[in-house]
Amino acid sequence: MTTLTRQDLNFGQVVADILCEFLEVAIHLILYVREVYPSGIFQKRKKYNVPVQMSCHPELNQYIQDTLHCVKPLIEKNDAEKVVVVIMDKEHHPVERFVFEMSQPPLLSISSDTLLSHVEQLLRAFILKISVCDAVLNNNPPGCSFSVLVHTRDAATRNMEKVQVIKDFPWIVADEQEVHMQDPRLIPLKTMTSDIVKMQLYVEERAQKT
Amino acid sequence: MDELYLDNIDEYVNDQDKIVTYKWLSLTLGVHVNTAKQMLFHYLDHKRKESSAQLHATYLVSGKCVDNGQASHKVSVIKEDKLEDFKSKMSLIVSVHVYSVQKALLKDSGPLYSVDYDAVKDNMKNCSKYSAIRCAGAVPVSSVELQQTREIQRAPSPEPESKKSGMNGSAHQASKPSTKPQKGIMGMFASKTSSKNQDNGKEVKSEQKEEAPVDEAPKSKPAVKANPMMNFFGSQAAKKPEKTVKQEEAPPSSSSVEQKSPQPEEKTQAAVVKPKPKDTQKESRSKTKRVEESDSEEDKMDKKKRRRIKKPVSDSSDEDVIPDSPQQMETREPSPSPKKEIKAVSHSHQRDAEMKTRKRRRVLKSRTFLDDEGCMVTEKGYESESYSETEDDFQAAKPAPKHPVPAKLPASKPDEKKSQKKNNANANKGSKQASIMGFFQKK
Repeated sequence: MTTLTRQDLNFGQVVADILCEFLEVAIHLILYVREVYPSGIFQKRKKYNVPVQMSCHPELNQYIQDTLHCVKPLIEKNDAEKVVVVIMDKEHHPVERFVFEMSQPPLLSISSDTLLSHVEQLLRAFILKISVCDAVLNNNPPGCSFSVLVHTRDAATRNMEKVQVIKDFPWIVADEQEVHMQDPRLIPLKTMTSDIVKMQLYVEERAQKT
Repeated sequence: MDELYLDNIDEYVNDQDKIVTYKWLSLTLGVHVNTAKQMLFHYLDHKRKESSAQLHATYLVSGKCVDNGQASHKVSVIKEDKLEDFKSKMSLIVSVHVYSVQKALLKDSGPLYSVDYDAVKDNMKNCSKYSAIRCAGAVPVSSVELQQTREIQRAPSPEPESKKSGMNGSAHQASKPSTKPQKGIMGMFASKTSSKNQDNGKEVKSEQKEEAPVDEAPKSKPAVKANPMMNFFGSQAAKKPEKTVKQEEAPPSSSSVEQKSPQPEEKTQAAVVKPKPKDTQKESRSKTKRVEESDSEEDKMDKKKRRRIKKPVSDSSDEDVIPDSPQQMETREPSPSPKKEIKAVSHSHQRDAEMKTRKRRRVLKSRTFLDDEGCMVTEKGYESESYSETEDDFQAAKPAPKHPVPAKLPASKPDEKKSQKKNNANANKGSKQASIMGFFQKK
């Protein structure tokens, strides 16, 4: 019905909001399912009309929110190619990487009223898939930590370094060892295509985890 | 034909890594739910014999169990490894069947709900097409009828009152046995003034020694409501008091199931007494307001009860349990155990579930602080927030062991949880009353 372009920043913001909300829920769920943190800190909350597990720890929540707050401007401009949640073992070698690849069509068009509920349905499927991903993944060693990496198109990060979006929350260029993994196994989890975004979730897993 | 569905399920479970619930299977393959259950069972059996891939299953167990002396009908979804254990706890098992089959070991019951959500949503109009539960009268309401019912609801109906007066007769007999505690309560009511209603509520509760804190909250409402009425009667020295005393003593001593009857009793008495007192303006105002309050409370109670039936069945006992389906839930008997404190699985924050049932009244707020040992503690507490005006006085009923109970509410109890609930209930009551009084004083 209405055709909005990328120049229409409001719509870009809407899409970025949706995606960041989704990423927040997804990150919490990944931390829960992969047992990065003890399950006691998680509580059941509702998102997209289904129960999800979110953490109650204030610092963890703040960290994730700040991270995504910085990622949001990149998503708005369609500069974020991938958002990766890396789970690392005690020696800071990645054992698992949950990769959210996203791309937005250049000409965003809302073609139907049910667009958002359709998107919600697709995101719900992602959530469900993350919940059952431990069927295809090996267990992680104890004492894992996580970090979030963003792969951007072109040189968008240069702007990020110049302008600190959140004070005292700097983003640094990731080192090689965090980005690349030894002997990765690729496990695709879910793909979605909608009018506003195309997203793919897959997991890269290290062949030997311990 | 027989082998075909096995392949189908195999594809869903192994290739697509789906969680296959019987409901989803029945909607996807277009078969009756019982057939779907059998299919899953055969598939599981088949695969287990082959002992190929590792499969996990959850079962739905429905039966009677005796919980703390109270018999209840429990329906639970149980993980396979806990199945035998759970079955042994039940006194009578009505049905056991496979709920879902999946490759992943589920950590909690959330995904089971998510799986069915979309399937049911897509088939909203005929989601019970393959269901085993049928009701001939359950037909969707036409828009005309819907409008009519809405109009009727707007006008306050005298019907519920007359219905409840019918119930009064049965409850009256229950009030006879306990005379001694009644007299004690009577004495309390007569001596104290209306401003100390909360105190009365608390002492009444201390005599009851109710175990379930959740019960106390709604129970305190009829009890506390009884207090201003009693004060009113005591001061009036009317003919009715003695009779009404006995009837209204019923609430403190009755069990949770009889909660409904005392409430309507008060309502009818309030309605009868309403025309009487014209001299003491304040108390008459409080009376009428009490009636309305009890109305709204009852509605909320109904809603709460309904919600509680759903929720505790989902979170009851020790295991991960979720309700079977929204339709099936209504047909279960409302057992007393769901009204007891809702226990979330392995969570120290037990009030999360309650938050969802009492959204209007209490806001779950979490406070994070460093305790003596330097550990960060996040505590969730109910703060009575009323959506009307100034309730600040009664808001601070936080269940912290370190923080003292606010001055307006009486002394704390040794049992932390109970005291928290009681304080909250009292705070609630207090806030409600304050808002009511505030409303009238403005005039």
